[in-house]
Amino acid sequence: MNYFLPINFKKTILMRLLFINTGIGLLLLLSLQLSAGGPGLKVNEPVLDITGKVTNINGEPVAGATVRVKGSTAGTSTNASGDYSISVPENGTLIFSSIGYEDMEVQVNGLIIINAVLRPSTKSLDQVIVVGYGTQRRRDVTGAVSSVSGSEISKQPVLTATQAIQGKVAGVQIVSSGAPNSAPSVRIRGTGSVFSGADPLYVVDGVITTDIRNINSADIASLEVLKDASSAAIYGVRAANGVIIITTKKGRGGKMLISYDANVGIREASHLVKMANATQYATYINEASVNTGNGDVLIDPATTNTSTDWFSTILRRSFQQNHNVSISGGGEKVNYFFSVGYLTDEGIVINNKFDRITIRSNNEYKINDKIKVNTLISYSHGNTQDVNLGSAYNNAYHAAPTITSKLNGKYGNTSAFQNVGNPLLDIESNNNKYKENRLQGTGYIEIKPLSWLTLRSSYGVELGFNNRKIYTSQFPNDTTTFIVTGGSQQNVKSSLFISDEKNTRWVWDNTATLQKSFDKHDLTLLVGTTAEEIFSESNTGSRTDVPSDPNLWYLSQGDPGSQLNSSSADKRARNSYLARLNYSYNKKYLLTATYRADGTSIFTKSWGYFPSIGVGWNIINEGFMADQKIFKQLKLRGSWGRLGNDNIPSSARFQTLLTGLAYSFDGTIVTGASLLDVIDKDIKWETTDESDIGLEFSILRGRLSGEVDVYKKQVNDALINVRIPGVLGDPDGILLTNVASIENKGIELALNWNGKSKQVNYTLSGNVSYNKNKVVALNGGQAIFGGFVGSKGSTTYTNNGQAIGEFYLLQDEGVFHNQTELAGYINSLGNLITINGQLPTLGDLRYKDLNDDGKIDDNDRSKSGSYQPKFTLGFTANVTYKAVDVSVNAYGTIGSKIYNGKKAARFNSRDNVEASVAEDRWTFANYASDVPRANLNAIPHSTYFLESGNFLRINNLTIGYTFPSPMLSKYHLSNFRCYITSQNLVTFTKYSGFTPEISNGDALGQGIEYNAYPTTRTYAFGINLTF
Amino acid sequence: MQQEKNSYKLLIWVIIGSFSMVSCKKDFLDVQPQGQITSEAASSDPNIARKLVTGVYNQLYQGGFDNDVHGIIFAMATDVASDDADKGSTALDQAPEAIGFDNFTSDLDGNNFYVSRLWNGNYSGIAAANQALEKLEQSKFDHITKRTFIGEVRFLRAFFYFNLVRLFGGVPKVLRVPANLADANSDEFKTRAPKDSIYAAIINDLQYGVDSLPLKGEATTQVGRANKGAAQSLLAKVYLYQQNYQKAYDLSREVILSNKFALISDYSKNFRSKIYDNNIESIFEIQTGTNADCNAAVPFYVVSQGPRVGGLGGWSDLGFGLNNPSQDLVNEYEPGDLRDSITIIYIGPDSTVLWDGFVIPARNRVENDRYNYKAYYGRRTDTYCVTGNTDRLPKNIHIIRYAEVLLINAEAALQIGNASDAFTDLSLIRQRAGLLPVPATISAIWHERRVELAMEQDRFFDIVRQRRAGTLLRALGKTFVDGKNEVFPIPQSEIDLSGGKLIQNNGY
Repeated sequence: MNYFLPINFKKTILMRLLFINTGIGLLLLLSLQLSAGGPGLKVNEPVLDITGKVTNINGEPVAGATVRVKGSTAGTSTNASGDYSISVPENGTLIFSSIGYEDMEVQVNGLIIINAVLRPSTKSLDQVIVVGYGTQRRRDVTGAVSSVSGSEISKQPVLTATQAIQGKVAGVQIVSSGAPNSAPSVRIRGTGSVFSGADPLYVVDGVITTDIRNINSADIASLEVLKDASSAAIYGVRAANGVIIITTKKGRGGKMLISYDANVGIREASHLVKMANATQYATYINEASVNTGNGDVLIDPATTNTSTDWFSTILRRSFQQNHNVSISGGGEKVNYFFSVGYLTDEGIVINNKFDRITIRSNNEYKINDKIKVNTLISYSHGNTQDVNLGSAYNNAYHAAPTITSKLNGKYGNTSAFQNVGNPLLDIESNNNKYKENRLQGTGYIEIKPLSWLTLRSSYGVELGFNNRKIYTSQFPNDTTTFIVTGGSQQNVKSSLFISDEKNTRWVWDNTATLQKSFDKHDLTLLVGTTAEEIFSESNTGSRTDVPSDPNLWYLSQGDPGSQLNSSSADKRARNSYLARLNYSYNKKYLLTATYRADGTSIFTKSWGYFPSIGVGWNIINEGFMADQKIFKQLKLRGSWGRLGNDNIPSSARFQTLLTGLAYSFDGTIVTGASLLDVIDKDIKWETTDESDIGLEFSILRGRLSGEVDVYKKQVNDALINVRIPGVLGDPDGILLTNVASIENKGIELALNWNGKSKQVNYTLSGNVSYNKNKVVALNGGQAIFGGFVGSKGSTTYTNNGQAIGEFYLLQDEGVFHNQTELAGYINSLGNLITINGQLPTLGDLRYKDLNDDGKIDDNDRSKSGSYQPKFTLGFTANVTYKAVDVSVNAYGTIGSKIYNGKKAARFNSRDNVEASVAEDRWTFANYASDVPRANLNAIPHSTYFLESGNFLRINNLTIGYTFPSPMLSKYHLSNFRCYITSQNLVTFTKYSGFTPEISNGDALGQGIEYNAYPTTRTYAFGINLTF
Repeated sequence: MQQEKNSYKLLIWVIIGSFSMVSCKKDFLDVQPQGQITSEAASSDPNIARKLVTGVYNQLYQGGFDNDVHGIIFAMATDVASDDADKGSTALDQAPEAIGFDNFTSDLDGNNFYVSRLWNGNYSGIAAANQALEKLEQSKFDHITKRTFIGEVRFLRAFFYFNLVRLFGGVPKVLRVPANLADANSDEFKTRAPKDSIYAAIINDLQYGVDSLPLKGEATTQVGRANKGAAQSLLAKVYLYQQNYQKAYDLSREVILSNKFALISDYSKNFRSKIYDNNIESIFEIQTGTNADCNAAVPFYVVSQGPRVGGLGGWSDLGFGLNNPSQDLVNEYEPGDLRDSITIIYIGPDSTVLWDGFVIPARNRVENDRYNYKAYYGRRTDTYCVTGNTDRLPKNIHIIRYAEVLLINAEAALQIGNASDAFTDLSLIRQRAGLLPVPATISAIWHERRVELAMEQDRFFDIVRQRRAGTLLRALGKTFVDGKNEVFPIPQSEIDLSGGKLIQNNGY
């Protein structure tokens, strides 16, 4: 084996490269010059076979630790017992490393047994973290990057990895719905876009994707969040909302490990709203009829004998389970990791269900010392039984408790009594199945022709095949369906809707990484290209009168005259060039510079350029710090960079023909077309400029470590609707174009405490972040009303100087308690103030006449706070006492507002109300109340319905017990742990609705609780077994 | 050394591969929309012009509280704003916009969204017409086909402008497609042309239609397309508004003498079952039908005016209960006028049976006293959307029918001193309504226009034309201001977008 090559040979090769591509050639040449004086390994040394055991300071074996020979790529890993064996040059040095521990170097010096005791890493300074297109040591990072280990993620009984990092990363707000197979909303450092999507970019094993619900959390080795521009800019035009990098587990050399991890549990709604019972309801509605109707007795008091609790009718305690088996190991030539996972999540709404199977195979083939080939293949199959939550929740909230839900197979007819539809019938008449198949595969070859050069070519594909089938049963509004006839809830014909979706994506990355150290200089240069094509297609069809037998749910059945079919497709391509330079001098001064040129098919002007620069100062390594005892680590860093967001429809720049416009000639319907859309053909990506300053420290001999970041993110060229004159005939009268500016400013603080006594090990970590979101300029763009609720219009207004989706409401001042207050409701001219044209009466809500014009109308609305929290908090504690481990994770937000939309919306005069509304309503007897009098109608949107969204939740509590090794060896087990866990054990909040965490809705109206899935609480029992 | 050499060869190939990958697919980033026709691609379709013409007809389907040409908001501006109808429904429904339209209160201002719906709806129709005309000019149709299509599209454009000029007075005159965004931003699209200039454009378009369109029933014609009679009738009506009585008389006379149209003996058939659509009396009506998409009708036109549940309830109602015939209209009918109970659904103390057999329960279960029978659709006998959705019940809507041509002829004849023609026309109308002839005075003709065309979305324009809107409406307690309320306010948003170049109507 010869690692050393004559310099002239290298030069020849490099001169040839120079002709191929001047750019990369120059960079290679530069490296060559740097390498000319570098050291090489000596050859033909005697070699020793060494064995040993790696343990931690508690004497426990460290499985999967890497053992490698310094200055070479040769290496191995420890097995489950911490044992290893390796061949090493006699005078070589072994490096032991494992995530979470400090690296350790041992001179061989002729020893043949080397046992290593690894110390836990304090702030994991030497931890290798994954950054875009490469890895970096934590101490060299100049950007704001947070890392969460796979074991932290798989601990929680939740579907996606993002849900599991809730509260663990400063500056990241995660809102997840309890609905099975729902994707949580993730906001890294605030909401940066109104129309281009505010979710981050996901990169799984180097392949960019937008949805990670197919990734089994048990397969994840680590998750990194790239928060600032210095770290994210390498992803250029798509990185503006931050980047989440997921790395899946790989096999390690050594004995084959077989593990089985499982948990089984139940879920339930963690909080329900108490609705009025039949008696309260009848009293309320009949009083409301006197107050605001014609005084008729609308609810017969005789019907209050039965009282239906509609939520308990449609909700249940549900079952969930998660099983994972993995086999991993490796040898000289191959490392392998194989896993199978199965998950079931029955939602807490009846008929709702999700199950998923995942299979993963990650293999590494070492062809020789210089060439490695990796294949990472995963398949996931998901089955969802969906329910229409919108109508189910809305109807359960508003349905009259005097109506029976179902009796002897017949439904109570709520809609026949001017009420909403029967929610149970809604759910049971609808069968909505979604099948997902997702195959992801990546293969890459990594060549290390020279010790300082790594070439990598990676090709990834993703295929998705999904099928949705919705069958709606026929049910007439007569006594075949209902206990009594009538009402509007009926479905005259059964219908079947089928949608077949196919999506494909390939991405080809080619990178060259040059790594060189000389004297006090450390240099890493990455250059690369990437190309990608994404295609999706969906074909839909529907028919009515399809028989109810599920075996006949195909489009060949039913009424051919009713058939509808359609296709839609989207195709986009990207081609990019990227470069990153990492340089450090004397481990003190750090520089990261990145540059990415992105070509995107969705813009007329295809190319965008995204630079970033980051600098760092490892103060701790300065001479003047040598004698101090306070800091164990101190680093100051700063960065600036530019990022993009190109998440706009690929046809946005084209004026396209609107087809299918019907008209009837000679009694026959034909279809025509129009060309009315006014478009901006020069539409482009949104551009984000972000600056970040951070300080990392560790004191008290490494026991307390922390990180503070201050950032400012300004989105320029943000897409916004510009109103255009109606004269131009555009159907919606708006033009989507890049004119607005949005700003997010904030501070993040994260602290960690590592504590240790004789038998107890514990870590405490907490983080708090503050973010302020503001639209700083509309530049002719239209301020947007959003958050439409019920019949009373919008609740939010996105305007200059306000947060995206800020509430914009009438200001509630309580109710009119007495005649004096009514008489005193005047403006400055002394005129009585009218509310929507009418003088108020006792028990009505009173609003501020902000413009003092004597009438309360939409012009009296004003900004009333945002759904975006000011502060996000997270706290985690892990305690190990002998064989028992306990971990607690808490999460909360402060400063957000929630609009109780379900309470504000009344659809029908006989809609039910919450028990507290019925009980506390203003009456002459209860004249001091601030709850308005009974009312048949919806009242205007006002701050009366706006509540604080502050909450603090015990996200997860887990107590585990690890059986001692001697007990296990009998059964050939190397590890056996069992645990009980609870997700969302308890939530502290003053919010009166189902959940203060609202994940549905667009950026303009996300804080409205309208038909939110209640937060679910899970209790589960689980085991971890390793053979 | 062999292995290293191979490695280097591989290295070279990888690098060559990675950097040439892009250049070998030069148009890699040139991706056209999938499954959607771009405007450039459309030009290559020989049939595009025909599709765009159909697309202009489709503009007549705007409505449903969104952009509106002849939907419920148009009914607000024509029936509810007049003495024929009240807002209807519950007190809070459609407040305050409809209250502004009903009573000319301060809620009728440039911010009332109804006005922008009407403005945008008609301009959307005009833009579609301009697009179709541009592509028709480029098309390779034979001369006659091309002229016929152009005639139809110009007829429709004139119809949209006729609505606009009556709703708002002078408006921006847009007779072409803007070349690009900068052109669209030019003053031509932002400033109001004088009312006369708009009328000139309307007359120009309709005259083209009169000259180029075939007579009803000719081989190439299709039911539903504008024909020569339609262009003549609408142009006659426009001349009536222009007080050019001679031309109004001549054109309406030509329609009468063409013998293509006649009064149908039973007045009710104009508004009942679909089997009577496009009967002998029909000159131009919005065509509707039932297709799988359920989109071939004006959304909510029927449902918004349908009888509404109220009081004790207990039945599946038919709609939102808007646009209720007024007591003043009820009073206008002479005893024995057959049209009274054909035009108005009266909700009595006992149940009411409608023509298709639907039973509306007693008044104490219904919200309002009266509903518009002419906007009623017989769901029990006539077909509609296969899914059972009732948002777009396929109700044809009359734009102009032969009875109105007779009334135009009568009024124009009277004005030019031809009393005998006026008497003949009027008597035909009255005879069908079961009434005896009366002398053809102007007030008799105007009375006849009111009851004949009641609830057909014409009355407000008519009384403004007759210059007596103020007198009539103030008598009903509406705060109509002369010199102001004859037209509606220009949408404030359009004024703002024009940078103040679009001038608001007087008094708003």
